[in-house]
Formats: sequence, C-alpha cells, structure tokens
Amino acid sequence: MRGALTQLQVIHALLLREMKTRFGQNQMGYLWAIVAPLLWIGMFAAFYGAFGRLAPPGTSVVAFLTTGIVPISLFKDTAQRCMAAISSNRGLLFYPQVQPLDLVLARAVLEAFTHVLVMLVIMGGVALYEGPPRINSTLEILAGLALASGLGTSLGLVCCGLSVYSSTVDRLFPSVMRVIFWLSGVFHSIESLPPRMRDLLLLNPMTHVIELVRRGWFPGYGARHVDPGYVLWWILGLAFFGLSLERTARRRLELT
Amino acid sequence: MIELSEVTKMYPTTTGSNLVLDRVSFSFPPRTNFGILGKNGSGKSTLLRIIAGIEQPDSGTIRRSGVVSWPIGFGGGFNGSLSGEENCRFVARIYGADIDDVVGFTMDFAELREYFFMPVKTYSSGMRSRLAFGLSMAIEFDVYLVDEITAVGDARFQKKCRRAFQERNDRSSVIIVSHHLSTVRDYCERCAVLRDGKLLCFDSVDEARVAYEAA
Repeated sequence: MRGALTQLQVIHALLLREMKTRFGQNQMGYLWAIVAPLLWIGMFAAFYGAFGRLAPPGTSVVAFLTTGIVPISLFKDTAQRCMAAISSNRGLLFYPQVQPLDLVLARAVLEAFTHVLVMLVIMGGVALYEGPPRINSTLEILAGLALASGLGTSLGLVCCGLSVYSSTVDRLFPSVMRVIFWLSGVFHSIESLPPRMRDLLLLNPMTHVIELVRRGWFPGYGARHVDPGYVLWWILGLAFFGLSLERTARRRLELT
Repeated sequence: MIELSEVTKMYPTTTGSNLVLDRVSFSFPPRTNFGILGKNGSGKSTLLRIIAGIEQPDSGTIRRSGVVSWPIGFGGGFNGSLSGEENCRFVARIYGADIDDVVGFTMDFAELREYFFMPVKTYSSGMRSRLAFGLSMAIEFDVYLVDEITAVGDARFQKKCRRAFQERNDRSSVIIVSHHLSTVRDYCERCAVLRDGKLLCFDSVDEARVAYEAA
C-alpha cells in the first residue's frame, strides 16, 4: 500500500517536471501541443473540401477526421515519448524510488491528458458550428482513447526495452509507424472497403480503436467488426513482453 | 538499520569479470556514524549505491528500515534545464516532503543567491554540489549516505556541513565512503576498510588506519 502511494507520488512529480521541461516555462508551450493536431486536422479537412471528397453518411468531415487522427496520434505520440523515456531521464534513476516504469507511465499520462483535451476542444468547436452534438456513447469514445493510450504505452515500453540493446529500434520506428498509420482506416470507414482489404486492416489493433471511437461519436455508425477484446490482447501481450524486457534491461543500464 | 547479507556484485570486463563485492555480510550499527575506507576503484561507490537501492546486487539481500538517502556528494540527479528551485520541488515531491520547507531550507543552506532560480546547467561544479548537499539536508533522512564529502565546497562550507550533521546526530546517522582517512576520522565513530571485495571492520579509526595503509 505504501509502495503504491510512493509510486503515485513519484509519477505525479515526474508529470509536473515533464510539463516544465517539455513545454517550457510559460503556458504558451502547452497551448502549442493542443494547436498542432488541430492544424493537422484542419489541413486534411481543407484537402477534403478542395477535392470534393465526402465523409461517410451520418458524419461530418471535421468530426470524421478527428475520430481518426486523434486516436492515431495519441497512439503514435505515446509510443514515441515512452520509447525515449529512459534514455532522456537517466539522471533520475539516481533516486532509489524512481523506477524506469515510472518514467514511462508519467509520459503516457501526459500524452493521454493532452489528447483528451484536444478531443474536447474539437467536440466543442463542432458543437458550436453544427449545433448541439448527438453523441452516441461518450463511454465508447473514452474507451477507444484509453485503448489507444494503452497500445501506445505498451508498444513504447517494448521499444524502450529493445533500444537499450540496439539502436536499430529507433531507426525502424518511424517507418513502422507510417505503415500502421496508413493501415488503420484513418481516412476511410472500413465498412466501405472490399472484404479482403477490410480483413487485412482488421489485423491492425488501431483499426478497431478508431472504429470504436467513431461508433461512440456517430449515432447509427455501423462498425460491426469492432472487437475491443482483440485490442486488449495486443496490449496485454506487448505489456508482458515490455515489462520482462525492462527487468533485464535494468541490469544493463547499471553498467553504462 | 541497514543489514547486508551475502551481497555479491561483479562487473564484466574485457579480461573476465571484476568481483567488486564478494559475499559481504554486515549489519551497520544503529545510530552510529560509520566510515568506509577504500582506495580508488575498490568498489566503495558501488557499495553505497547498493545500500541506497539504486543498484541491485547479483546475489544476496539488503534490509533497510527507516528512510535512506540517495548517495550525496556529486551533483547527480539534477535536470540541467530546470532551476535549482524546480529541482528541489521535484525531489520534495518524490519524498513526500513539504515543498515550501524544502525549498526554503535549501535556498538558505546552499547560498546560491540569484542562481537558485537559474537553470542548473549554468552552475559551477561547486554550486551544483552545494545545491545537492543543501537539498539532502532539507529532507529528514534516518540515514545519510555520503560519497566523498571533501568534494563539497570550500573550508567554510564544509564546516557548515559538519555542523548540520552534528545537529541531527540524535535523529539520524551517516554512512560515509572515502579514501581520505581524515574525513572518516572527522565524522565517524566506527569504520571499515573495503579491500578485495571484503569489508573488514574495526572498532576505531586508528585500528583501521593500519589496515588501510597496508593495503
């Protein structure tokens, strides 16, 4: 019990420290973290408008893009930040109660918090523009974001452990992320794809996450193929592998 | 109280492995300032890090009761882009101490003046270690682990450090590792010599001197 309390204390302290070191001394730094994904979504929305592409029925372009881009960037940013958590905070392992896992979790929490905030800002914006939103299930949206965060954290943990042994991981990471990005249905509803293509995309757990968020946001959005249990297995598998890597990596960290 | 039993630690080297601690079993006497003497590379810093819990032994166990500090001495564990004050806040938080008390005490003790509010990367090494030492004094530890205290500040500041330790002598104790006999004599009631991976204990510093100088 005391151990858990210390752990929370440590993660809280790391979180505040992370905000300071990452976003600088003024609040403008943090504002940028929220504005960046908004610009990203705005840019794609402009493309959609320019090429006359339509969002699937029952959705609007901005909302549809948001449900794709926010979860995928939550996943990607979390994995990326968690991967570097130990290498950029080595000095903190100097304090006995700071464990490598705390460094990873603090970063994961900060990313999750930021992306939920982005989501809320966009939902508010959409509500102002389109009138009061008809959200299907807030719980499903939150569950989707939680799964995206869990996937990012567990993958980040694995990469973090592997990067102690080899720097190949850091070099491969961006390419792998790009593949995951294009195979997760950010710009399509998987329901509109041919079955073989759809089955391929459904191997990617992020496809399930995005479809889950969409089902939560848009009333009447089909998403018959969503399986949160499948995503959970991925998270558990990666977390198990990542945590066992961390145990062996700890010994190696002492030597360097 | 700190108790080591059968603690072994080795590091791989290009020519096999270097046995730094060889089945060390020792119980540190409670409420006693204790010195550990060792030549450079004898493994005293490793021993201190294992006592602190930053490193794990290859085999054997350590039992600690009470709050044990991190190894105090060199200014490790600070983030260079944060100010001295912000670093103090962080450490106060992870130890669950009162933030304002810790910040106030450290600012007073470390004598950094306006530098206290500037990024630590702008500090000289002396300023860093003064900050590290002041901060460790601001938190109530039952046992202070000190790595080579002579590294901290000038003669006047060292006097201040010694006074600070004396003031809390009834509440807490110190374990110092050093290669200076004089440091150990100044601070400690009992001491041991670390040699060839073994810890040899002596009741007085003078008895230890013979063994240390023979090493």
